[in-house]
Amino acid sequence: MTVDIRKQEGVTILDIEGRIIGSDSLALKNIIDEQVDDAKEGNANILLNLADVRMVDSSGLGIIVASYTAVRKKGGRIALLQPGGNIRSLIVMAKLVTVFDRYEDEGEAIASFYKSNN
Amino acid sequence: MGSTTEQIIRLDLPSSIQQVYLLDTIILEILKEMDFDEETSELVSLAVIEAGTNAIKHGNKEDWSKHAHFEFIVHPDKLTVVVQDEGKGFEREEVADPLDPANLLKSSGRGLFLMEACMDSVTYNKSGTIVTMVKHKPLSDKQ
Repeated sequence: MTVDIRKQEGVTILDIEGRIIGSDSLALKNIIDEQVDDAKEGNANILLNLADVRMVDSSGLGIIVASYTAVRKKGGRIALLQPGGNIRSLIVMAKLVTVFDRYEDEGEAIASFYKSNN
Repeated sequence: MGSTTEQIIRLDLPSSIQQVYLLDTIILEILKEMDFDEETSELVSLAVIEAGTNAIKHGNKEDWSKHAHFEFIVHPDKLTVVVQDEGKGFEREEVADPLDPANLLKSSGRGLFLMEACMDSVTYNKSGTIVTMVKHKPLSDKQ
């Protein structure tokens, strides 16, 4: 798994690539935690770009769920961009459909952070 | 050795979470060799990764002196995967339901559920140290 971080219009975008298995979940947790810690209160806007993620295991899914909780505690929001591979079906299987906002278009995803903040 | 219609592949891994990457590579190769379609392969590889992670992390507590043992039994129409750890075992009934509304936002506890959702059958031995999983090839893939 590789993760590239970029900022766009106040949203931190994590471009994740590969398979999130084994110890990758811990690495991903550390990266997200760092972004959440660095964000100002109420401004933890994080978009996980999963377009190039082929597979995620239960640990990886658990980290994404934990991030959702951590970001909300800081008054922010986390959204998923193009969840492909097995992630889409895992979200359905784990009954997390109503938890995560999912987008196919990056511009639409970024705009959604401002809609939800206003 | 098995009969002429099955092939058995055995693998013993030391109990490090890093070994999951090797396990991932091996199961994907076996599934490719068996001509499983991509979608089914992803389900089976996820179940095997979950079982392997459980054996290494929860069963053997990542103790390097212990091993996780894998047996891949390749049949013409199905794959059977047996995973054994050297831990104390567990009771399936005592593992919380991750779909219970109280558990939905928990960061862990979905591994067994996903294994059972991805495979055709998942059974545990009495002592909770061996899990046996079976996946049949989809009808369209059969010769």
